[in-house]
Amino acid sequence: MDMETDQIYQIDVGNLLAFNPNHRFPSAPSSREELVKECVTEGTKLVQAIADTLFNFPSTETNDGPLVQLPPPTTKLPREKHLPRPKPPTKWEEFALKKGIQKRKKDKIVYDETTDKFKRRHGYDRVNDDNDIPIIEAKASDEPGEDPFAKRLDDKKKRVGKQEKNRLQNLKTAAKAGALPSHVQLAVTALPISGTKTQPQKLGKEALGDVAGLAATSTASGGKFDKKLPGEKPPKKQGKHHKYLPVLPRYGEVDEEKEQTNKVLSKLLSKHSHEILNVGKAIDMYNDKKEKKKSGRSDKLKAKKDITKKKPYANKAK
Amino acid sequence: MRPLDENETTVVFEKIFKFVGNNLKNIVENPSHEGPEQDPGRYCFRLHKNRVYYVSESLVKRATNISRKSLVSLGTCIGKYTHAGGFHLTIMSLSVLAANAKHKVWLKPTSEMSFLYGNHVLKGGLGRITDSIVPGDGVVVFSMSDVPLGFGVAAKSTQDCRKLDPNGIVVLHQADIGEYLRDEDEL
Repeated sequence: MDMETDQIYQIDVGNLLAFNPNHRFPSAPSSREELVKECVTEGTKLVQAIADTLFNFPSTETNDGPLVQLPPPTTKLPREKHLPRPKPPTKWEEFALKKGIQKRKKDKIVYDETTDKFKRRHGYDRVNDDNDIPIIEAKASDEPGEDPFAKRLDDKKKRVGKQEKNRLQNLKTAAKAGALPSHVQLAVTALPISGTKTQPQKLGKEALGDVAGLAATSTASGGKFDKKLPGEKPPKKQGKHHKYLPVLPRYGEVDEEKEQTNKVLSKLLSKHSHEILNVGKAIDMYNDKKEKKKSGRSDKLKAKKDITKKKPYANKAK
Repeated sequence: MRPLDENETTVVFEKIFKFVGNNLKNIVENPSHEGPEQDPGRYCFRLHKNRVYYVSESLVKRATNISRKSLVSLGTCIGKYTHAGGFHLTIMSLSVLAANAKHKVWLKPTSEMSFLYGNHVLKGGLGRITDSIVPGDGVVVFSMSDVPLGFGVAAKSTQDCRKLDPNGIVVLHQADIGEYLRDEDEL
């Protein structure tokens, strides 16, 4: 068939897409069915165009059939997610901006004066390691009983804690503006994930109790030897949770035990229902019958008893 | 005392089915004639201290008045659960089984005593045997005068029994009425 209209179609093989920009409905479709029919016919033409281009590509033979490598798609699809929102500046960034502090690039290897060597700035065998200081000179402001090494460690811990606090604070302000970085690990109830609208559900009292119980028993010894927190109530139902039927059926109520036994019984009988027919016995009976039939036929060769002939001395007791 | 769980019921019924086959229905739905009420109901299974009892419903109703610690036994004890959850039929279920047995074996008078002492049934002691026995089937052992002596598991099918030498085992012993004297404490 003549495919001159092929040029009019815009075909994007990478996305298996065909588009006819010049299609016009000749008349307003009268009914839904007509519209559907028209769409289907047009659609088939477009699909035919895609198939034609596909088959024109060089193909390799595989077990499932010819395999074609599609070219990269040409149509630009819209973004799935929004553009990243501008983050609010962190506290340090604000301060640096105000003071006019520029960022300086730091080297990885630094010259260490004490050992006259080049050492790395961070990590193993670093430049200003706290553990490497042999002597700390006492100053006039030092108290006599204080350990300066311990003090250094303490200071470092405090600094690290402060930094962590600031980092979390920055994240919170960023989250408020909706610009949380996606790599940040989020706790369930702490911060919502940026881009979604759902607020994390607050756990109710029961749910909290269940979770607390789960957590309490998920130790190696099942939570038996853990110290109880002040105000923690003992766990509710411990051990296996078994629901047994009542010993006697309640008056007027459905007899659940009877139902259960009937159910088990019917299941069991149906499972063994194929054994009603004893196949071996049936085979034996069939074979016996066959044998009898066989021997019955050979009787014809024997002399048949003539019933019309009367017995000579039958009951002649005279 | 409590009724059986669904899994427990399946285990018990399976074991009984090996002996009685489809007559299991008769056992479960046996109308009871005990009790002064108009309709004493059927027989049911109750579990008490790892033992399964086959009791009529009227008896169960009265037994609920006895505390668990004081209750020793009720109705007929048909078997015990093992530690691992398996179920074994005991000799006290013989009356229930013998009435509905599918596969029966009759012993000669000479080998009755041997069986009652707990030995297996040898072919030499076999008097009569019902046919169509598959190895692994439950078999009830009778004396020649149709007195039930006990039960066991068939080791060979009926056909194979004929070809066996006289010292071959036909029925593996599981329970016999001699146990009433031997294992008096355990029953």
